[in-house]
Amino acid sequence: MRVLIAEDDTVSRRILETLLRNWGHEVITTLDGEEAWQALHELNAPALAILDVMMPGVDGLEICRRVRELGGATPPYIILLTAKHGARAIVDGMEAGADDYLTKPYDRDELRVRVQVGVRIVELQTRLAGRVKELEGALEHVRQLQGILPICCYCKKIRGDQDYWQTVESYIADHSEAEFSHGICPNCYETTVKDQLASFRALVQPPV
Amino acid sequence: MAADLLRMDDYLAQSLTRPPRANDTVATTGAIDPAVIVSLDEAWEEGEPDLVVELIDLYLGDAPQWVESMRAAAAGVDARVLKRAAHTLKGSSGSLGVRQVAETCRMLELSCSESAARVEELLQQLNREFATARAALAAERLRRVA
Repeated sequence: MRVLIAEDDTVSRRILETLLRNWGHEVITTLDGEEAWQALHELNAPALAILDVMMPGVDGLEICRRVRELGGATPPYIILLTAKHGARAIVDGMEAGADDYLTKPYDRDELRVRVQVGVRIVELQTRLAGRVKELEGALEHVRQLQGILPICCYCKKIRGDQDYWQTVESYIADHSEAEFSHGICPNCYETTVKDQLASFRALVQPPV
Repeated sequence: MAADLLRMDDYLAQSLTRPPRANDTVATTGAIDPAVIVSLDEAWEEGEPDLVVELIDLYLGDAPQWVESMRAAAAGVDARVLKRAAHTLKGSSGSLGVRQVAETCRMLELSCSESAARVEELLQQLNREFATARAALAAERLRRVA
């Protein structure tokens, strides 16, 4: 997964890069808050971000707030990584919009599993966004077949959205996933087809 | 690599084989936490340069600037800049196991608004500890690239 890190301290940043690459992630490195913010609101932004809280310029908490204001179907999963300890710092971080919080010095295994949780949440979020899109498409089809349809009393054609009269089958085919196979119902056979067949037979086989 | 070389003053090749582990007797005087060095060695991957050497170079390149920045901020009574520099050097030192420097930076971060005498006392302590740490890190680096 593409993971963004924002850390102004070179030593901590290099360690973080090494660990994340060892765990199979593609790392996008930023050196301060402004750079991180740019990377997080561009197209194809990384899905997971590990941000230092105290950075020059825009700090980690402000980035969290801005990212949450952006909204979107697949917002990035944000882990704050900071030397600030204590419940108040954690509450401030989570209220600003962070998904998780880890204090320095951190345990490598703890960071690894927390990143794994982030990856799971991002994947779940992506799958859900895909399903929501599919359902919205399906709902749109259903909506098109709802409501009052103007139909001709004689030929049974339907007037479509563009004021164009279509046969019932072409209208339904255009507005749904339905397809038609053609047959003859028993009633029409009796009232129409039977007589027509008799006429054809009479034409090809004159009475003896 | 070519682009990196253009920005360097010098270049020292290092082995791509397994770096000597910290418990192969770390060249430590108590200024560096051996457990942190062991933990960093564990993050080393086959075929990669020695991570500890790289981190020592980064640290020794940056830390003097942060120390100087703290001294200048103290002289100019700029508590905000002093706190920021102390915070960054604390993180950097902690990540590399330079524990005494990290601890003094922590105290400076907390005391930056206190009396100038207290800040000066901590800065002098930081200078002594940083000098010790620098020597220990240089020795560790030398041991690894030798």
